[in-house]
Amino acid sequence: MSTQTGAPGAAVEAEQRTPVLELVGARAGYGAIQVLHGVDLAVHPGSVVALLGPNGGGKSTTMKVCTGLLPLNGGELRLAGRRVNGLSAQEIAKLGVCAIPEGRGVFPNLTVRENLWIATGTGTDLKKLEEVAYGRFPILGERRNQLAGSMSGGEQQMLALSRALATDPAVLLLDELSMGLAPMIVSQMYETVAELVAGGLSVLVAEQFARVVLPIADTAALMLHGRIVDTGTPDEIEGRLSSEYLGG
Amino acid sequence: MTTFLTFTILGLVLGSVYAIAASGLVLTYNTSGIFNFAHGAQAMLGTFLYWQLSVGWGLPVWLSLLLVVGVFGPLMGLLLHKLIMGALRDTAEVAKIVVTVAVMLGMVYLSQWIWDPVEPRTLTMFFGSDASVEIAGVVVRLHEILCLAVALAIALGLRMLFHRTRVGVVMRGTVDSPDLLRLNGHDPARVAAISWALGSALAVLAGILITPVSGGSLEANALTLLVIDAFAAAMFGRLRNIPPAFVGAMVLGLLGAYVTAYFPSDWTWTGNFRVSLPMILLFIVIVVLPQDRLRGAATRTRERYRVPSVRAAATWGLVLLGIVFLYSLLLADSGITTLGLGMAFAIIALSLTLLTGYAGEMNLAPMSFAAIATVIVFHFGITGSGLDASLNLPGIALAVVATAVVGGLVALPALRLRGLYLALATLAFGALLSNMVLRDTVEHTLAGFTFTLFPDGTLIIPKPRFGPVDLGDPLTFLLVATALFALIALGLAVLRNSGYGRRLAAMKDSPAATAMLGQNLVKLKLSVFMLSAAIAGLGGILMSSAMGSVEGESFGLMASLALVMLVVVGGIGYISGALFGGVMSGIGFTLLVGTFNDLAISQPQAATFFELLGNVVMVGTALVGMGVGKNPSGSVQGIMDGYRSLREARPVLIGGAALVAVLYALALAGLYGSWTFTLLALVVVMALPAVGQKLMPHAVAPVEGHGHSDEIRDDEPFTDTLRDRLDLALGLPARVPGVRAAAPQKGEEVNAPA
Repeated sequence: MSTQTGAPGAAVEAEQRTPVLELVGARAGYGAIQVLHGVDLAVHPGSVVALLGPNGGGKSTTMKVCTGLLPLNGGELRLAGRRVNGLSAQEIAKLGVCAIPEGRGVFPNLTVRENLWIATGTGTDLKKLEEVAYGRFPILGERRNQLAGSMSGGEQQMLALSRALATDPAVLLLDELSMGLAPMIVSQMYETVAELVAGGLSVLVAEQFARVVLPIADTAALMLHGRIVDTGTPDEIEGRLSSEYLGG
Repeated sequence: MTTFLTFTILGLVLGSVYAIAASGLVLTYNTSGIFNFAHGAQAMLGTFLYWQLSVGWGLPVWLSLLLVVGVFGPLMGLLLHKLIMGALRDTAEVAKIVVTVAVMLGMVYLSQWIWDPVEPRTLTMFFGSDASVEIAGVVVRLHEILCLAVALAIALGLRMLFHRTRVGVVMRGTVDSPDLLRLNGHDPARVAAISWALGSALAVLAGILITPVSGGSLEANALTLLVIDAFAAAMFGRLRNIPPAFVGAMVLGLLGAYVTAYFPSDWTWTGNFRVSLPMILLFIVIVVLPQDRLRGAATRTRERYRVPSVRAAATWGLVLLGIVFLYSLLLADSGITTLGLGMAFAIIALSLTLLTGYAGEMNLAPMSFAAIATVIVFHFGITGSGLDASLNLPGIALAVVATAVVGGLVALPALRLRGLYLALATLAFGALLSNMVLRDTVEHTLAGFTFTLFPDGTLIIPKPRFGPVDLGDPLTFLLVATALFALIALGLAVLRNSGYGRRLAAMKDSPAATAMLGQNLVKLKLSVFMLSAAIAGLGGILMSSAMGSVEGESFGLMASLALVMLVVVGGIGYISGALFGGVMSGIGFTLLVGTFNDLAISQPQAATFFELLGNVVMVGTALVGMGVGKNPSGSVQGIMDGYRSLREARPVLIGGAALVAVLYALALAGLYGSWTFTLLALVVVMALPAVGQKLMPHAVAPVEGHGHSDEIRDDEPFTDTLRDRLDLALGLPARVPGVRAAAPQKGEEVNAPA
């Protein structure tokens, strides 16, 4: 894929293999409003792709398309080279796409344990989920019978990330992990993501704040007005970011 | 003490059955977001089937129970879920309500079709009504103990389900976020289907248990409304939580029992009060319970209504008057009277166009306001007596004004309510009125005045007479009613185009935004409720005098709901929808069923066929109502839009008109009857757009409809033509052609910095 051109290191090796998740000329929108005007994007095995861009650029819509929550009206969504357009979100989830949506990816009116129970929908058993979650985030173990909505934002995000830790997904989609969190908590969250990546997980992460995500990314793509306008290594993109944002 | 214990147990038994019904209701509402008005009808249908199996066909009780509660109930729930859910995405609250209301009406008609209501049926208690034990000096029947035990078991079972099983936890998760469930690999639709199956089984169980407790006789309407009482219990938990709903059910049951036990028996209204208690409680609970705060975001729905132009309203009003007059020449007096009744209903329906169509407020009991005006005009508006009696203008004016005031009083406590809550509050008011006022047939003495609200259960309402204009003549009545309809419709068009109308539309779209723009929501809501009540009152007076004599049933909940359903089917945002809904519910029902029955009597060999046809029409109407989710803006305007494309195909239009004129002339000459003419004319009129497409494909512009953004398909590429269409629809100035030519690359204009 051309989006990967010039990416060194892991991404170049990965180039040879089939991407875990790929969008080809993806178009999508809400009702009459077309949001994505042909997006090409590939996440190769073991790589981290950062999707950057300002509000309203189409990042969240791209994420929704990848999870199957929003159907494409043009182009293709491929998982491991297989066309999966038209599959429902739950089917895509069962194929190994673990997505943590914008805001809090938890059920506020269910307890921590019940949240993990729901996460067994993709096939992992509850025992393993609890072990992994409470092992990595002991605070969740202490609060297993507390309502998720009564926990702090950081704790909720831990709970959401536990799903990715324990269900062994093929690819992890993170949408605005930093939203509404204190900077310190954000860096903690991305430490966890970095651990997952070190374990070989492929990640697509959409983020408004480039600085927190670029250090862990292999490739960065800049999204404006429903198109990917620039792709490159994190360093290259960081250098061009301000001019792209300001339209210079 | 024994009295107290006896009635406590009775109250608990009733409460436990309410609890079973309420828990099913809460279950389906939470997992699918649809408040199931048909819950009571499901209970009714299941109970009738149980009677058929166990009493009618003599099957063993356990087998009948298993078949009805274990098989029929869940299957009915699954079927409803399948029918309803798909069509109801992104529709406004009123469409959601109307679809389940249609299901409810359909089930009631269906049961009356299968089980002839004239024949009495009774269900006895399980173990017989003599099987009892004595506890602390109180005789308790085994059936009653069974009710309590079943409710307890269901309470425990549901708790287990929701906290100890994954599917239960997933059901609770649906409340928070269906999308997040899907991301976790669950299918919310499947979860909803399961809960509909379970909820339906619970409804059926409640129906079978409550029937013997409440007298034992099976009657479709009564049984349906009995379970509607459980709405109040469900509301205790704000439709969200089951434990408070159980508490509410017990409160409901106990209060009812204590009212029966301790209210002095010489209070004439005790019985009616006892029956209305659940609805009074429902109203209070809705009004008192904290509500969701105004949400900032406008709801996105598929309904779209064009604003009527005053000129078009005036023209169409005259056209309507002309058509009605010409058509009346074909009709016998009875037909003219029926059509006049239909027009009266159409005026009542206009009150809904204003309230729901323009202002987005809900009223599920329009007939109640018709009833209020009728009662007032009966007491204060009749001049003369016997055959010479007539309604006078001051009386009518008083009744209309008083109805408006009552409308304001009803709206006052409900001002904070919106959507479903408002709908339920008006439903409660309607039921309360039917039970307390329209069944109030005994004499009261209050502060020296002796009066009877609804003497003998029947009010004789004479026709109005204004000076030389005597509405006693059917044709005069019809023409006056039609003219009134046209005038009010014109008034509504003027209103909608005024600043006030725009404020109403703004309130409908986003109350929060309207409030922030400095509009007084209280004033807007109150005024529109009063205006709407006045219109309904006027229509109600006409309706009552067209019928001659009215009973409480004429204004009952079923009549109200049927009217609301038909108006929504016709298009609640349009005057044409009100005309359709009103005429249909006014004459459609009485005339079709009446005609079929008459035909059946005159042609006995085909009697069963005509009876069948009558029933098919009733159930079919309900089926149409269920389809409203597919076309939430209503069907009449859709048909009218078909003609818009014919504007350029003059010859086709003229040809069609000529054909109808010839048909009319032949009918006038007595070649065939009015029914035949109606059918033939309808066929010609309906076929016209299709004929136009065939004969003059060039002249007939492709149906562009309203130019709404909705009609641009999602997969349509975003081209310049499309952009122009959008600009046009949004009322933006057209782009200069040169600029467009200079920017051939789509999307470039957006990307380029200003």
